[in-house]
Amino acid sequence: MKATLYKSINRLAPLVACSAILFAAHTQAKEHLLGALDNETLLNCDNLYWSGQSLDANACYLSIVRTVHPPEIQAEAMWALGDLYTADELLEQAAQLSPDNAMILVRTGELYNRTYQYQTAYNFFNQALTLEPDNAWAHVGAAEALSSGNNGEEITAHLQAVEMYFASPPGARLRAMIMSITSVMERDLYDQARESLDQAWELVEDEDLPHMQLNALEAALAFVTRRTYQVQTYIDEALNEAPVYGDAYAIPAYFASITRRYAEAGEFYQKAVEVEPHHWAAHLELGQNYLRLNQITEGIRHVETSYEGDGFNPKTLNMMRLLDTFTENFVDLTFPNPPAGDGIPKLVLRLDRNEVDVLSPYAQELAESSMAIFEERYNFPAKEPVIVEIFPNHEDFVVRSIGMPGVGILGVTFGYLFAMDSPTGHPNETYHWGTTLWHEMAHVYTVEATEHGVPRWYSEGISVYEEWNTGPIPGIKIPAYVLQFMAEDAFLPVAELDNGFMRPTYDEQVIVSYMQAGLIFQFISDEYGHDKIVDMLYLFVEGTDEVTAIETTLNISDREFDRHFKQYIDIQFGPLLNNLQIWQQDLQATAQAYGAGSWEETITAANRAIFTYPEYVEQDSPYIAKALAHAQLEQDELKFETLETFWHLGGYSARALKELADEYIARGQQTEAIAVFRDVHYADPFDEETHGKLGDLYIELDQPEAALQEYMVGLALNPLDQAAANYRVASAYKALNDPAQSMDYLMTALDIAPQYRPAQQLLLELSRAGN
Amino acid sequence: MGENRISRATLISCILFLSGFSLSAHAELYVTIVQGLAGEPAFGENFHSQSQTIADASASLTDAEKITFFNGENATRENLLSHFSELSNTMNEDDRAAVYLIGHGSFDGEEYKFNIPGLDLTTDDLLNIMDSFPGQNHFLLNTSSTSGALLEPLENDNRILITATRNGNEKNATFFGEYFVEALSSEDADLNKNNNISIEEAFAYAQRQVEEYFESQGQLATEHSEIAGNGAAQFTLARLSPLVISNENPRVAELQEQVLNIDRQIESLQLRRTELSNADYIEQLQALILQSARINEEIDQLTSE
Repeated sequence: MKATLYKSINRLAPLVACSAILFAAHTQAKEHLLGALDNETLLNCDNLYWSGQSLDANACYLSIVRTVHPPEIQAEAMWALGDLYTADELLEQAAQLSPDNAMILVRTGELYNRTYQYQTAYNFFNQALTLEPDNAWAHVGAAEALSSGNNGEEITAHLQAVEMYFASPPGARLRAMIMSITSVMERDLYDQARESLDQAWELVEDEDLPHMQLNALEAALAFVTRRTYQVQTYIDEALNEAPVYGDAYAIPAYFASITRRYAEAGEFYQKAVEVEPHHWAAHLELGQNYLRLNQITEGIRHVETSYEGDGFNPKTLNMMRLLDTFTENFVDLTFPNPPAGDGIPKLVLRLDRNEVDVLSPYAQELAESSMAIFEERYNFPAKEPVIVEIFPNHEDFVVRSIGMPGVGILGVTFGYLFAMDSPTGHPNETYHWGTTLWHEMAHVYTVEATEHGVPRWYSEGISVYEEWNTGPIPGIKIPAYVLQFMAEDAFLPVAELDNGFMRPTYDEQVIVSYMQAGLIFQFISDEYGHDKIVDMLYLFVEGTDEVTAIETTLNISDREFDRHFKQYIDIQFGPLLNNLQIWQQDLQATAQAYGAGSWEETITAANRAIFTYPEYVEQDSPYIAKALAHAQLEQDELKFETLETFWHLGGYSARALKELADEYIARGQQTEAIAVFRDVHYADPFDEETHGKLGDLYIELDQPEAALQEYMVGLALNPLDQAAANYRVASAYKALNDPAQSMDYLMTALDIAPQYRPAQQLLLELSRAGN
Repeated sequence: MGENRISRATLISCILFLSGFSLSAHAELYVTIVQGLAGEPAFGENFHSQSQTIADASASLTDAEKITFFNGENATRENLLSHFSELSNTMNEDDRAAVYLIGHGSFDGEEYKFNIPGLDLTTDDLLNIMDSFPGQNHFLLNTSSTSGALLEPLENDNRILITATRNGNEKNATFFGEYFVEALSSEDADLNKNNNISIEEAFAYAQRQVEEYFESQGQLATEHSEIAGNGAAQFTLARLSPLVISNENPRVAELQEQVLNIDRQIESLQLRRTELSNADYIEQLQALILQSARINEEIDQLTSE
């Protein structure tokens, strides 16, 4: 059955993974046929187009449509004119008339690639390959379709088929080479890219093929290898050949974007759409780039332009949906307010209207304290306001960050702006939003201090290291499954660590790499001092690679570094890793005993697990089961001690911490209870009871301002008991000598509950004080 | 403190009970609790405990003989229809009926049934029962799964209907009933601090608790309770503290009467709220509550002497 192009792009979205960005970003613009078709009339029209004579080209394509031509050629003309539906219908007619013509199927596949329907496209290429197993155009098209997913081996097989077959047309060979060069450059293998580009140039010159794509790739390579003086030269070369070739800019823009140099990416994309105003993918990327740079209005404009021109792109549709809510639901809070002397705020919190009153006090506190710490620790004062966006909807956050939903990330930093999940985006106890904010803020400093030159692993490593050393729940926290990989010696050499983040070879490798990177900085800090981390960081401003940076700063080779780091891990974790299996068994035995209600056995197993690895305070920590078992046995003191140890080690389970805070209150240890409740807020700020209790503690300690903050947050959570919540706010205002505000909230409470005696008492007090 | 002294809380509860309860002087409250089939022992214990709590809470408002509890083999359709028929003959226009159905239900896409030994109670049975009571504003609580299927056939402005689910398609065992019953003895559910738990308060409490339960479990809610009909705020289901009235101090009694009078004025003012500007409303409300607060303070002083 013939597939049909459709515009309900949302149905496509789940099929398209993030890696689609690689090739999909470039396919929007018209692509050179490179000899795939040999119809002279069509090629004449194409030549007019590429030489910049757009109006003549348009007339030329129209003449094909209006005169007698084979349907597959008319389809190409309709495609060039932007009528993809008619192009599809004509290709279908052509296929019916010439069922053995593989190139009609190939071009149909290309049309579906162009509309992001990669599975359908792949099916057409496969049909073509059934007719002609060596059809190089079909192999290249299939490889492009597969690049929308994680299909590395199959892509390689198709590209190799093009290379190996002696009769592959030069144009198809060039396309295959361009795909390979792009892929190699994405993996930062620039020397290999150089070699491949040289081979491609030989082919282009020998076969008299167009140069423009290679020039665009040369410009991109010059950019990423910091030969910026050569970038424009290559772009100009491409434009000399084809003045309307927007990819001359869009290809370098893409590489600027994936290396997180968003300002330069934006400049390139801007020029791409100036050269080729109908380059809808460039409009989208430009819009997304503006959004990353906090230029919201411009960002929206280009996303909308992209949507108007290309309704097929699922990324565009996702962005349009996000922007609908983004502009309506989010509010900006600036700090300090009013700004200091220069009139520029230092911090902007962009929060959902429904969450702003709850999150803002704690987000502000965390952001400001982390900024002060990182400014000092990395000798870098922020030169622009830092913008923190917190999304209650995880998919909105992901679309805002990378354009496509369905990716399990928590935060993304673009520079001075970062976006992250709200705790409401993760309704389970494993998400500690305070740590995520801290992590992302560290990125702001490492990325901006190096003018976006810091390698991914280096920036991630510092963020993890800062979580552990200065974050809201200090302490080295390593998930249990990562320990298993550590025991299996799975850490990568430092020179290859970026691959663990960018090109993981197993499911857990990204998290393993995060932990390794964090431990590397822990190692450098312990063995060489924190200053060396900072010294090394600043070498990246000039484009120094990490191997040279290590040699320059630490006076050892990367291999020696790896050896020393391994020794460090052996010393720090050797005893645990040697007993990992026993620890895991004890952890499992704890859970089993707890599940079976065998409290004594739970405690015994938990004690064994704690003995082997006392610092383990993740959500399946044995401390939690042990405390619960002590509670069952009414061993209150032991329960309290267990929870207290858990907290001191950086345990962050909100439920466990709330239990501990209540214990502290019962024991009259108000200061400790306050500290615990504050930690709870960085895990779960949406619990109204916690805010009420914390406010009460502040009142007891004569800190009405802090109490008021907590009571206001409690009220913002729309509690069931509105009378009590309003009464609490009124009492805090009274303590702050603000009788007018106090009376406002008090009357709200009394309107709900006229016989509420504490509120009546406060009314009497206010009344008497006023007389 | 001597035995004849009344605590402040008790006094207030007395006053507010009188003020808040909407039955007229001679009106009676008739409570019927039906504990349905459990299926599993755990459900059986739970249903029994809930039914017993309802009976205890109702005893704070009405005489023991006006509370009827059906469970086990007694809870047959025949017995229930006979009981309700008798009850409708006993009640007068001013009386109120509160019917609690605690158990499992089923909905086959067309008809809802409450599961009891033998023949189930059908939707028509329930409709006939509720229609048979003289007067209006009677109350039916159904905590079973699929109970939302009753909403459409039974919904009526003149009766208060609460179901644990919003339709007949929510088929999982529900948590709502447990929380609703919990509200009947919880100060946290007493949102207007009048020492009584109204239908509206118990519903709000239970609904919030169910939401929080599913949120805390990280699960999508499998039940969404519904309330229909007027007068839920005025219909008291339970009193939190025992009612003890002192006749020993005439001055206290006089002051109580004044507070009662002010409470009536507050209720009247609240009903006229839309006729007033906000500033006028608040000013008048403040004056009344201040007056009430002063009297309550005097009562406290007199009763603590």
